[in-house]
Amino acid sequence: MDLIHSILVKPFTDMVAAPDFLLQVLWEGLVSGVLYALIALGFVLIYKSSRIFNFAQGIMVVFAALTLVGLHEKGVPAWAAVPMTLGVMFILAVAIERVVLRPLVNQPDIILFMATIGITLFLIGLGELIFGGENKVMITQELGIPTGSFAFKPGGGLLLIEQKDVTAVAGAGLLVVALLLFLNYSKMGRAIRALGDDHQAALSVGISLSAIWVLVWFIAGIIALATGIVWGARAGVSFALEVIAYKALPVLMLGGLESVSGAIIGGLMIGILEKLFEIYWGQPLFGGNTETWFAFVFALIVLLFRPQGLFGEKIIERV
Amino acid sequence: MFYRTAGQYKSSYKADHALFPVKQDFWLLLVILAIAWIVLPYFATEFAFNALLIPVLVYALAAIGLNILTGYAGQLSLGTGAFMGVGAYACYKLITIFPELNLVVAILLSGLFSAAVGAAFGLPSLRIKGFYLAIATLAAQFFLVWLFEKWAWLYNYSNTGAIQVPNIDMFGITVAGAQASSITRYYFVLAFVTLITAVAINITRGRIGRIWKATRDMDIAAELVGINLLKSKLLAFAVSSYIVGVSGALFVFLWRGAAEPNLFDIPLSFRVLFIAIIGGLGSIMGNYLGALLIVALPVLLNIIPEMLGVPIPSATAEHLNVMIIGALIIFFLVVEPHGLARFWQVIREKLIIWPFPH
Amino acid sequence: MNAPVRHEHSFAFSGEDDGIAPGETLLDIRDVTLSFGGVRAINHISFDVLKGEIRAIIGPNGAGKTSMLNVINGFYTPQEGKIIFRGKERKSMKPHEAVGQGIARTFQNVALFKGMSTLDNIMTGRSTRMKRNLFWQALWHGPALDEEIEHRERVEEIIDFLEIAHIRHTPVGKLPYGLQKRVELGRALAMQPSLLLLDEPMAGMNLEEKEDMSRFILDVNQQLGTTIALIEHDMGVVMDLSDRVVVLDYGRKIGDGTPDVVRNNKDVIDAYLGVAH
Repeated sequence: MDLIHSILVKPFTDMVAAPDFLLQVLWEGLVSGVLYALIALGFVLIYKSSRIFNFAQGIMVVFAALTLVGLHEKGVPAWAAVPMTLGVMFILAVAIERVVLRPLVNQPDIILFMATIGITLFLIGLGELIFGGENKVMITQELGIPTGSFAFKPGGGLLLIEQKDVTAVAGAGLLVVALLLFLNYSKMGRAIRALGDDHQAALSVGISLSAIWVLVWFIAGIIALATGIVWGARAGVSFALEVIAYKALPVLMLGGLESVSGAIIGGLMIGILEKLFEIYWGQPLFGGNTETWFAFVFALIVLLFRPQGLFGEKIIERV
Repeated sequence: MFYRTAGQYKSSYKADHALFPVKQDFWLLLVILAIAWIVLPYFATEFAFNALLIPVLVYALAAIGLNILTGYAGQLSLGTGAFMGVGAYACYKLITIFPELNLVVAILLSGLFSAAVGAAFGLPSLRIKGFYLAIATLAAQFFLVWLFEKWAWLYNYSNTGAIQVPNIDMFGITVAGAQASSITRYYFVLAFVTLITAVAINITRGRIGRIWKATRDMDIAAELVGINLLKSKLLAFAVSSYIVGVSGALFVFLWRGAAEPNLFDIPLSFRVLFIAIIGGLGSIMGNYLGALLIVALPVLLNIIPEMLGVPIPSATAEHLNVMIIGALIIFFLVVEPHGLARFWQVIREKLIIWPFPH
Repeated sequence: MNAPVRHEHSFAFSGEDDGIAPGETLLDIRDVTLSFGGVRAINHISFDVLKGEIRAIIGPNGAGKTSMLNVINGFYTPQEGKIIFRGKERKSMKPHEAVGQGIARTFQNVALFKGMSTLDNIMTGRSTRMKRNLFWQALWHGPALDEEIEHRERVEEIIDFLEIAHIRHTPVGKLPYGLQKRVELGRALAMQPSLLLLDEPMAGMNLEEKEDMSRFILDVNQQLGTTIALIEHDMGVVMDLSDRVVVLDYGRKIGDGTPDVVRNNKDVIDAYLGVAH
């Protein structure tokens, strides 16, 4: 009886009893959600255009962040370090396309997925080799990200919102809008979408596979850098960041592997729900730390009812 | 010249179904078995047992389990580490609740727990296909490791949260725990692994193996041939998880001697997956080759530079290890997606026609 | 290359006894309608298939022929209409139950298991008849091996009949298209079906391959008594092989009868010439 009460009733009464705390939790969840969405976005982009499930997106985030911080440590000022990092990501994109993607062009999806696992490992090792394995601090101030916080007092309580989080959310929003505009209204964006729909057809109208793939991986690299800066500002730059990438999978499962809006909504949903669950159910009932698995179990349950995810297209098998 | 198959006709279907239709393969196997059972134990050092021989066997077994699920039945699993954990904790509870229980029996029983958990997480496989199924095994992976930590009954409420393997005797010899000699442990593991490998080979060469491969290659056609997909996938999850669970019990009880929950975390899952990929998905023997590579590589990276007089710090060696494995995976996928097992096949075919080029 | 020497093949095993005498109705499609969303793939179609005959289903592209086969073997369930098979009305059926009913089929795009050899592919056709459980399989020697060899003997008969012994251990992914289609036929035969559904068995074949395939189909029909329904575009094949023909167009039936009758049917001619009607 007690147990049922604490599962079905108490969490909600707690939420209502301290609405400012609830808002705080929701905000924290939203910020995590934005970051998950960003990583998922990188996945979606690559998947849309090449059917490759790029497991390496997570490590690309870390790698980008490490490169930025590493350059800065060597004395490169922030305004130069950012474009240089982008340059590194570009070179990475070219290398991946030549060494991994091109030879594997017609292989089944699972092979390509495993190849991205290989890339992940390689980049982890390389990153550790070049930059060392200790945790680093993101160069937030040098990048111009404000570091104060706003305090609100709704209804007598306290709500603390970090300015860097606001920057993160705003920045992510801008990035998404830019991406959507690019995909839908630019020539290259159209080419990317065409490639996603039908390789052969795209090739036959003269779209260069290699060029598009380099472009796509580079954009994914840009997204990775943005994510790395934002996430690094919150949590420090370390290889633990890579684990965040795993969370992107449930986001993608929910949002459908091909939908940009799905990735965003999925990311926000997961971010908020897992925070809520952890604070109001996980900690009181189970001792906490449920954020390691909640997203996955949630996505699994949703998929059982809708195998194509919340936004994916219904899969019709034709024989 | 070595591998002349000329003159070796099969005059019955039974002969065609033999594991070694070519005599030379049979001799090769005998040589390998002799090396494993007689030669190596004679020469191996304590270090070799603990750092190479025993882990290769245990990892190879885990990879065989994973290979059955992912390589034969085509269901991607990223939860191998957690299922190994289920086997390990089940064995621990069995041994601590029934101290008189024979260790062999305990290990064989603990596989059943893994099999049950594996089958449960395999149930979604009927609704969910392809990559999306990876979410089920990932959910299993993260949830189970959390459970290993939170459910204190599993580790007998110890303060550290870790489990420690007590000294366990069998027929008067200490086989597990701090006092067990490495050569005893080696033979114990070798016996288990040999037996289960034989069983795995048998199962995959007959009708069940075919059903799995059909499920993997084209599940719609498999249905129209009368195969019940749910049963086929659940069986794959169950058999695979059984083997993985046993390997987990061996992992803790016969090799590491102790375990904490994070031992079974996702890096372990990936390590076994790499072994299965590099060894060759859809092969049984390839897993040994893969395990050998993955286990030996870090050791070599530490030893060889020293031998060459250019020692590198062990952290660097570790980073290089990771990079090389990553590069190897890509290399194998590009050059030979069927892994080392296929490499061996190719070499063997060349040996058959040697000295002719083709 | 010389044409292979044809010899009269007699099977050691016979076709299934399904309780229907030759000449009686084996399959009765009554007023079946199948829709996908707003599209009617099959629109109130009725026809029958008699035991022991070869029934061709023809029509322009998109007429609904493959959908019809999919309905017959249970892959799709029609929204309206009745299907009476072997004298019993059939409620909706799951795909893996088709074999148990005695229905086997081949596909337009060869649906073989690319990772397995010819022999293994055809052996999968025996899946419903092989029973030895996990324990015996783990042991292998003994009952499991005996069962394997027993079924292998059956399958070798089929391999012999289809003249594919020389490629029995080749992975099917490496075979040329014509041979793949033959292997697929072999797999269907291994199921010992009462009703064999062939979806464009001759597609993509040259003249010699078509002749071989035609003779195989005739042999299966005559020696084993297997009833065959096939979709085919090659008119020559259709006229030569089939006992009766049903013609579809835009999801409706526009012709039904012997090849001669159908050939002279004005509606059929118009449909093929693309005359609007």
